[in-house]
Amino acid sequence: MKKVQLSPPLLALLLAIALFLLGGVLAPGFVNVEQAINIVRLSAFLGIIAAGQTLVILSGGEGIDLSIGAIVTLSAILVFRIVDGQNGMVLPALAVALLTGFLFGAINGLGITALGIPPLVMTLGMAGVVQGSILVLTQGQLVGKAAPIMSTLISRPLVLGIPGVIFIWLALGAVMWLLLERTAYGKHLFAVGVNRTASRLSGVRVPRTVLITYALSGLLSAFGGFMLLGFTQNVFLSLGERWLFPSVAAVVVGGTILAGGKGSYWGTMAGALVLTLISSLLTAVQLPEAARQIILGVTLLVLLSVYGRQRALRE
Amino acid sequence: MSISLTARHIVKRFSGVVALAEGDLTVDGGEVVALLGANGSGKSTLAKIITGVLAPDEGRLEVDGQAVTFSSPQGAIRRGITAVYQELSLIPDMTVTENIWLNHEPMRWSVRVDRTQARRRTEELLALFQGAVSPALMPETPVAALPPDEKQIVEILKALSREPLLMILDEATASLDARQVSRLFKLMDAWKADGMALVFVSHRMEEIFRVADRAVVLRNGRTVGERAMSDVTERDLVTLMVGDEPSAAAVAQPDAAQPVDPSARPRLQIDRLRSGRVHDVSLAVHDGELVGLGGLRGQGQDDLLLAVFGALPFTGKMALAGEEVKFNHPRQAVKRDVAYVPGERGSQGLLLIRSILENFQLPSWVRYGTPLKMGQARQDAAQMGASLRLVMASLDAPVSSLSGGNAQKVVLGKWLLREPRLLLLNDPTKGVDVGAKAEIYQLLEDLRRAGTAILFYSSEDEELLNLCDRVLVMQDGRITAELSGVSLQKENLVAASMGAVEQAGDQGGSSS
Repeated sequence: MKKVQLSPPLLALLLAIALFLLGGVLAPGFVNVEQAINIVRLSAFLGIIAAGQTLVILSGGEGIDLSIGAIVTLSAILVFRIVDGQNGMVLPALAVALLTGFLFGAINGLGITALGIPPLVMTLGMAGVVQGSILVLTQGQLVGKAAPIMSTLISRPLVLGIPGVIFIWLALGAVMWLLLERTAYGKHLFAVGVNRTASRLSGVRVPRTVLITYALSGLLSAFGGFMLLGFTQNVFLSLGERWLFPSVAAVVVGGTILAGGKGSYWGTMAGALVLTLISSLLTAVQLPEAARQIILGVTLLVLLSVYGRQRALRE
Repeated sequence: MSISLTARHIVKRFSGVVALAEGDLTVDGGEVVALLGANGSGKSTLAKIITGVLAPDEGRLEVDGQAVTFSSPQGAIRRGITAVYQELSLIPDMTVTENIWLNHEPMRWSVRVDRTQARRRTEELLALFQGAVSPALMPETPVAALPPDEKQIVEILKALSREPLLMILDEATASLDARQVSRLFKLMDAWKADGMALVFVSHRMEEIFRVADRAVVLRNGRTVGERAMSDVTERDLVTLMVGDEPSAAAVAQPDAAQPVDPSARPRLQIDRLRSGRVHDVSLAVHDGELVGLGGLRGQGQDDLLLAVFGALPFTGKMALAGEEVKFNHPRQAVKRDVAYVPGERGSQGLLLIRSILENFQLPSWVRYGTPLKMGQARQDAAQMGASLRLVMASLDAPVSSLSGGNAQKVVLGKWLLREPRLLLLNDPTKGVDVGAKAEIYQLLEDLRRAGTAILFYSSEDEELLNLCDRVLVMQDGRITAELSGVSLQKENLVAASMGAVEQAGDQGGSSS
């Protein structure tokens, strides 16, 4: 008498497909291969940026990373500047950006573990610090240029009309699965997210695990900024900001519990698809911006309450 | 004015479990009655019924010969009955004055609180303990700023402010220092002389003999005896509490147990360890030895085990198999083959929403390489599950789906997978069904035979008596008695727990 339980990632994926088909009904011409590819491409950027957020939320202890948007912007600006149109500088620029993101994330982790600052406060403060650093760094002048190879490999069709970012996203999905399910770090992350006392009494170094998690979140955000630059080809000071809220939403829609300790990156990927679809669909039916925001918000609330009910039933 | 209270044949059940089967107690104005009994004998239940916190299922409560029923503590207070509880009822953010007069503030014109009067009367109350408390204890001091002993004193004064005819002191001396206790006893003598009736619940024999006129003894929810303190000894009271006639062996010879191999260096040796509630504890556990930690709850047993496991900082020396160690984190202890099974399974031992597999392997993941060899990890966990006869749907089921006994097997199993040399257990059979208990006992016995050193705290005296080679009894963070061989008797254990130190020590063959 085992009842078939849809796991949240699967549920989100089915929802995404349903939304896509609904789009075909509401807006003729919505359903075609090109549109599908475009939606997956947009989802990929959100998905990549939300990877770090997934880890942080899994770590529990009211974990959330509000500095993600600022680090995305900083990373894009750094790469923009260092690359300055030269293909040969792409890898060094990526390395600098990743290292910078990692360091800012590690400072987040230190503040949270060593000083006991609540994650919300620490990362919000860090967002301000990063924004300030951007102003100091650029002096208000955004000089530089993206390298041609970046748009070739990231946003232009690469193989069979599919852009590179989608392959990169899938590869990241595999890496994240390995990290979460096939390393001791991943197992410790889940443990720390569920119960820090029990983890510590089982020999898990809790502060170290949390520190690494925030550092990885910084690194993954910086990677997201790099990818985003390959798409936009240009930078501006609020480039990353508008991805912050969707990054949290994608994680939660994907079924990762906000309290931590349970969830997956597959879920976040499906969540990114759902969010991108909803917003594309609302654009396609030509709703005004205000109505789109309202519908997006309400959809999230409905989805989360459905998840909440499922959990309550299982308990 | 004076009171006379009688409780007759009081019965109280909690969802089918009988907490009090036949509680009888009489106390009159001008006397101190000590209420005695082992853990779970029904003392607190009886005290709560008298003060109106709980309603009795059967039985009769009489005040001055007239039957009463209290529907709430307020009802009891109106008849002049108050209680001082160990778990404090103070509100941290309020001042001493506000706490003491809460709900019966002195009023002016019956509409507003008379602060001047409240303050003056608080000062009068505090004056009772003058010299035994710090000068910082003022009427305006917020309760949150007070140390535990002064909070307890405020609690006593709060009860006193009701000008009771009958006051129940439930373990009120546990957090007081010697000077404060002796002041309280002087005050109790004075209150008694004024005609107040006092019921004194304590686990300390010495205090009972100092302050009480009579002792009422409870055992398994029944009042089993009543004695005047002037013609009773500690032994007599302990015998009443334990029930069985003292066996000949109880009056016994020194230490008969021998370590498995006395020449070998002990697996664990600690010397003058201090940590948390633990003061200057020295002990040794050898390979293949099962050593029990006894005593009342909360006498430092938790902190001692946690300190050995590296989860609490400590001062003093600790050596594992002769090699001195200083752990800062449980991880270091785990690496040295030390394992700790915590007392609170759900909050300290398990990841409830994660799978059985992950709970089994939590301390061991690092041994499975990168990427983790999941096949091997599963197989090891499955083998452990089978050898523990774990009843489960699958290794992937959440551990929260298991019964208490099976969940506790998972906590044990996660350490057995590491084959520990020293196993620390903190009340491992709490909330475990009888069948699983027996299996856990067998498991401990098997481990001991296989040469594991085990240090075992239990709140159940029977477990200590049946399983352990030696039992160290702790009181106030110190080891006050060591029982082994023929001295390992229930009556000695209870006596030592209650602080009848000299007697248990001499007859029980303390190692000192």
